Amino acid sequence: MIDHLLLTPDQRDALQEVTNIAMGQAGSQLAQILESFVQLSVPRINITESAAISTGIAQLVGTPQSITAVRQAFNGTLRGEAMVMYDQDGCRDLADLMGYEDDLDGAADRELLLDVSNVLVGACLNGIAELLQAKLSFSAPTIMAENVEVGRLINPQQLTWNYALLVEVHFTLEVRDFTCHLLTLMPEESILTLKSALDTFMENF
Amino acid sequence: MAVSLGDFIVSEVNVGVFVVGRDHRLQLWNRFMAHHSGISSEDAIGHSLFELFPDLPQKWLAKKIDSVFVLKNSAFTSWEQRPYLFRFAHNRPITGGIDYMRQNFTFMPVKNDAGEIEAVAVTLIDATDSAIYQMMMHTAMQKLEESSNRDGLTGVFNRRYVDMRLHDEIQRIDRYHVDPFSVLLFDLDHFKKINDTYGHVAGDEVLREVARRAQAVLREPDVFGRYGGEEFVLILPQTDLSGAYAAAERIRFEIAADTVASGDERITVTASIGVAQYQPGVTSAEKILSMADEALYASKHGGRNRVTVYSPQQPVTP
Repeated sequence: MIDHLLLTPDQRDALQEVTNIAMGQAGSQLAQILESFVQLSVPRINITESAAISTGIAQLVGTPQSITAVRQAFNGTLRGEAMVMYDQDGCRDLADLMGYEDDLDGAADRELLLDVSNVLVGACLNGIAELLQAKLSFSAPTIMAENVEVGRLINPQQLTWNYALLVEVHFTLEVRDFTCHLLTLMPEESILTLKSALDTFMENF
Repeated sequence: MAVSLGDFIVSEVNVGVFVVGRDHRLQLWNRFMAHHSGISSEDAIGHSLFELFPDLPQKWLAKKIDSVFVLKNSAFTSWEQRPYLFRFAHNRPITGGIDYMRQNFTFMPVKNDAGEIEAVAVTLIDATDSAIYQMMMHTAMQKLEESSNRDGLTGVFNRRYVDMRLHDEIQRIDRYHVDPFSVLLFDLDHFKKINDTYGHVAGDEVLREVARRAQAVLREPDVFGRYGGEEFVLILPQTDLSGAYAAAERIRFEIAADTVASGDERITVTASIGVAQYQPGVTSAEKILSMADEALYASKHGGRNRVTVYSPQQPVTP
């Protein structure tokens, strides 16, 4: 039933390769912007069923008390949504690195979340898209939820897709106490596009 | 000179468009920007954005623009977090109630043929209307919430709200160990007779007037509501029984002090009152209300127009 969506072992290796290269580039770009070394985890790749999305996310990000999440849609060759998840401290520790000079009020706190998310999503996804010769454009990021349990982030009943590809990367900053997760979700039709893009990628290497 | 369609649109569109280079000097400044800033494109182009607009949050904005060069990726700002970057007048000067134009920005990388970023193109969308609608919606929601807490006839709080506050008050005591509160329950004497004799319009006027007279006695933190029919409830935070008894006597006195006028009629009104104090760890919201009700019942039986303080053995009139 979902066989046509599953990546072949070669495609999976290629995607792992592509995401690894892209994360390497993203890390050095982020280091330029944040002026400190950013550590990115090896991306984890999964196909998830919509009913199991919350459990899938909880497995990837753990179950902190509460999380704040920012979402950003991308479309073009590939279509989907990226979500950046922060623990209760958000990314306040990055304020000065992002050019914020005053103490943060509520609005500045949210803007900082959006700024950091846009940078992380852009750095990671553009790298992947470039390697796959895909064109992506991004809409403005928005706050998805503030201080909610992981299980309440997505209501599976409202989802209009059955299967999605889930890619998780986890960031840490050496000099600051900061960590967050980037999750990229692409629905069925983008999985098919991705599979053929991966095939082309393999042919060229 | 022929102007390309693209150039025409960028110049004339009712959206701010400008382009900055790595050195933050302007390379393009469209009519919208010139019109709203009062700086013509001739005066803007070639000059640093931050020199022309010293009010801009330079450190943050420079970081944002630089990140577009590094990541080759768009960046955004929204009026909801940062209302504006440029102090532009908006198109609702009379009805707006907002100081400067609310602005959404998109910062886009401009790539050359080699895929390198040469500049950043910025669009400014006027979001003032959205901001005003959101403000209006917020006000309406607040009014709605306020009205859902009120009794339609008397304008004092309704039962739902008083019950909610009663639970809050109990939680506050359990958590912060502040002084216990007292509850006062009062009921108009022979109200059915007033309705039967003078009619419902007069009955409604009596309820409104009684609510007004009781409110005149209240302190800031007191929560006063109509509990249904001719019954009212009052929560007195951080008040012991003697304080609550004194308040009850004042309310009883105020209600009975003068007749209530309805048309040509002068209607005599009195109230019977029951008072109970919250006992930490012992009393639930339901329990304290039934204690006050028991004391109220004793006031009725004792001859009406009086105050009774609840005591566990038997209600007594001090």
